[in-house]
Amino acid sequence: MSGFSVTSRSSSKAGQPWYGRRGFDEWSLGAILTLGIIGLFICVVLPIYTLLSKSVENKDGDFIGLANFVQFFETPSLFSSISNSLFIALLSTVIVTSLAFLTAYGISRTRIPFKGLFRIVLVLPILAPSLLPAISLVYLFGNQGILKDVLMGASIYGPIGIVIGSCFWTFPHALMIMLTALANTDARLYESAEVLGASPMRTFFTITLPAAKYGIISVAFVVFTLVITDFGVPKVIGGQFNVLATDIYKQVIGQQNFEMGATVSMILLLPAILTFITDRWLQRRQSALLTSRAVPWTPPIRKVVDKAFFALMIVVCVVILGVIAMAVYASLVTFWPYNQTLSFKNYNFDLMDGGGWDSYWNSIQLATYTALIGTGFIFFQSYLVEKLAGFKLLKWFFHLFAILPLAVPGLVLGLAYIFFFNAPNNPLNGIYGTMTILVVCTISHFYTVCHLTATTALKQIDSEFESVSASLKVPQIVTFWRVSLPVCMPAVLDIASYLFVNAMTTVSAVVFLYSYNTSLASVAVLNMDDAGDIAPAAAMAVMIMLTCMVARLVHWLLGNVILKHTQHWRQR
Amino acid sequence: MSNKAYLELNNIDQMFGTYQALKNVSLNIKEGEFVCFLGPSGCGKTSLLRIIAGLDTPTSGSILQAGKDITYAPVNHRDFGIVFQSYALFPNLTVADNIAYGLVSKKFSANDRRVRVTELLATVGMSGSEGRYPAQLSGGQQQRVALARALATSPGLLLLDEPLSALDARVRAHLRQEIKQLQEKLGVTTIMVTHDQEEALTMADQIVVMNQGVIEQIGTPQDVYAKPNTPFVAEFVGEMNFLSAEVSGVGVMQSAGLTLRCDQSSHLTIGDPAQLAIRPEDVRFQTEGEEDNKMNAKVLHLEFLGSRMRALLELENHERPILADISMNEMAELNLIQGQSVVCQLPHDRLHVFGGKA
Repeated sequence: MSGFSVTSRSSSKAGQPWYGRRGFDEWSLGAILTLGIIGLFICVVLPIYTLLSKSVENKDGDFIGLANFVQFFETPSLFSSISNSLFIALLSTVIVTSLAFLTAYGISRTRIPFKGLFRIVLVLPILAPSLLPAISLVYLFGNQGILKDVLMGASIYGPIGIVIGSCFWTFPHALMIMLTALANTDARLYESAEVLGASPMRTFFTITLPAAKYGIISVAFVVFTLVITDFGVPKVIGGQFNVLATDIYKQVIGQQNFEMGATVSMILLLPAILTFITDRWLQRRQSALLTSRAVPWTPPIRKVVDKAFFALMIVVCVVILGVIAMAVYASLVTFWPYNQTLSFKNYNFDLMDGGGWDSYWNSIQLATYTALIGTGFIFFQSYLVEKLAGFKLLKWFFHLFAILPLAVPGLVLGLAYIFFFNAPNNPLNGIYGTMTILVVCTISHFYTVCHLTATTALKQIDSEFESVSASLKVPQIVTFWRVSLPVCMPAVLDIASYLFVNAMTTVSAVVFLYSYNTSLASVAVLNMDDAGDIAPAAAMAVMIMLTCMVARLVHWLLGNVILKHTQHWRQR
Repeated sequence: MSNKAYLELNNIDQMFGTYQALKNVSLNIKEGEFVCFLGPSGCGKTSLLRIIAGLDTPTSGSILQAGKDITYAPVNHRDFGIVFQSYALFPNLTVADNIAYGLVSKKFSANDRRVRVTELLATVGMSGSEGRYPAQLSGGQQQRVALARALATSPGLLLLDEPLSALDARVRAHLRQEIKQLQEKLGVTTIMVTHDQEEALTMADQIVVMNQGVIEQIGTPQDVYAKPNTPFVAEFVGEMNFLSAEVSGVGVMQSAGLTLRCDQSSHLTIGDPAQLAIRPEDVRFQTEGEEDNKMNAKVLHLEFLGSRMRALLELENHERPILADISMNEMAELNLIQGQSVVCQLPHDRLHVFGGKA
């Protein structure tokens, strides 16, 4: 029972000591949980609240109702961004969702060879900042691009470029959800269909597709939100084509019009919140579909189908590798397109704007701190939420706060941080412009996925461990250290690697928060591109991608070599 | 065994929102006793165990262990060992580390720990498995390790939450004996929660039968089986046939045209509705001598159960058929066949009388 309902029945509790029936142990852990909630409240809830209030204020801070929104909708150039954003997002959603479905089907439901290799190549874009495909597209189809003629006179600067670039970087996210959705098969259903004489087509539409239905809807919403809130790609390759995300950036960075930035942010929050609600709703539905007695299905040999999917995989992989290779090549060419000899001249970042090599090291620092502090904080707090007895109300609020960042686009969060932490009357004002705020913001931005990963892993371990250790008079923290943490080690590594990679590649939130001393590699890509130094921008993007690859390699080594060694208890 | 209560539960109530899981439960357990909480799922037996363990707090009432009020004591201030249905063995620790888990905080030296672990493994019959991991053990072996871990710190009270329900039938029957013998040897006061009446009957010194949050009966296995207090106990422990009847005289009942003699019931008066109950094995067919409670019946169905034959009998004037168990020896003489008519007897000293309608 929670502490709250116990105290409410004080009349029958004459014999109860004032501190309740918890030991010192449990009270200390409860205090840590409370600190965690306060932390999330300050780093997530308050900034967003400040942003909300800014959108209904004028420059002097007076409440003006919805006047900012009225002004936004009455400005034709601003308003056209909405239809532009919707168009780009819808088109990318259709393309990415179909491609992700087909490739996921190829991996999980056909007998094509080299599935492992395809899988690695298909998720490569997740290791690069979203700016990399945009830069690559400039080299491929831009004014001096090597494949410019393919477009037959159309310009890559604008909707075409934005859509291709967006598809490239959102594809791995879509693929991973789709793979999960298609992973659960029940051979008994397929056997029944065969026995009942259903054609392969009918089987596909009555069994395969309905089972993946929620995955497909989920992918569509996720891609839509990612595209509509991303500003890296439209910034680099959008030309004069305005979208909502670039509007915020221009309003805030270009015109210092913070209130209008807040207003546009509020509009951007809508699709994200819609996605968030849909996703919650879908997850409740999806779980009901799975039964523990399902028998995994092994795809039959279908020569034509397998060949078609093999061809598709090759095409998609060639496109992905081609885009990446173009960026790498462009970064190595001395002076495009006049001096095509290869050199590392473009990696001489210290000669360019954007912070030089310092910004790269800053990014490494940010990613390391984010991975270490973030993983520690998130995992321990999730542990308390999942395994500490009582404190029901606290836990409910914690969960709410932990889920909230999923509904907030990075750009919006970054802006919210400016409003909240830069306010002169905020006692935390001191962290503004330091590495601390970048770390805090990045952890908050990517909090939800990590929290859910940790929670899922913790839910899988026996809920009685804590009761047993209490009965053996072992403090709960000892059991955390000796049992829960080692058992969840794979999930902990996943979280750390996820945070590291995202901290390296993210632009959206931190672009508002970096200062002269804390410029970052991903922001440097943006700024160098802005200054016309496209080749160095490509070089920096390549550096980010290589670093993320190394991080993933380390993750793999830790997970497969060291963990295999210390986790032999998993084997029977 | 001393006569003083080791564990005393006084008027325990437990509310979950508006749902009352336990209603005014009082119970005394003597030192060294093996007590089973028996009941269907949702009867409150697990809630009661969790309250004793301190994993839940009662809404009202008090618990005394060895004379000390522990109603609000935190779990780690209480003196008990517990084995859960899932065993909750730490998967990443070896058998030895699992068993020694509670010894570390009790300030045992490394050497003493090793000695104690060896001793406990010998006690549960698993010597030599120190270095193995839980995943490498069978269900029965895991259950022994969990038992050894719970006993490692020599607790005054051992709590077992459906410890055998995850095992298959053969292992279960074997472990029943072992746990009982171990408990007798160590003399540790033990409470076991179970929904399996056979488990309770074979293992317990005292059975506490629970239903819908109240204790229906407390007694030895023999008492609970032979003298059930309520129709619920009669039906839940063993099998029971019920006949609805009406009191028509002193020690006489009327049941759908049949006049049946039974033991005198103090709390029923003439005209009251009542239920007569009889166990299948108490129905007789060879009725020389006694003339009471005889009636005609038709054999509707026969079912072979190995050591005995189960007959479904339709009594004259009764719609609801009753079950009768016939030993194979008796069957050899009776030679019953399906559809046949037969005379059977419900001996008056084997009829249980309960007040109220069925």
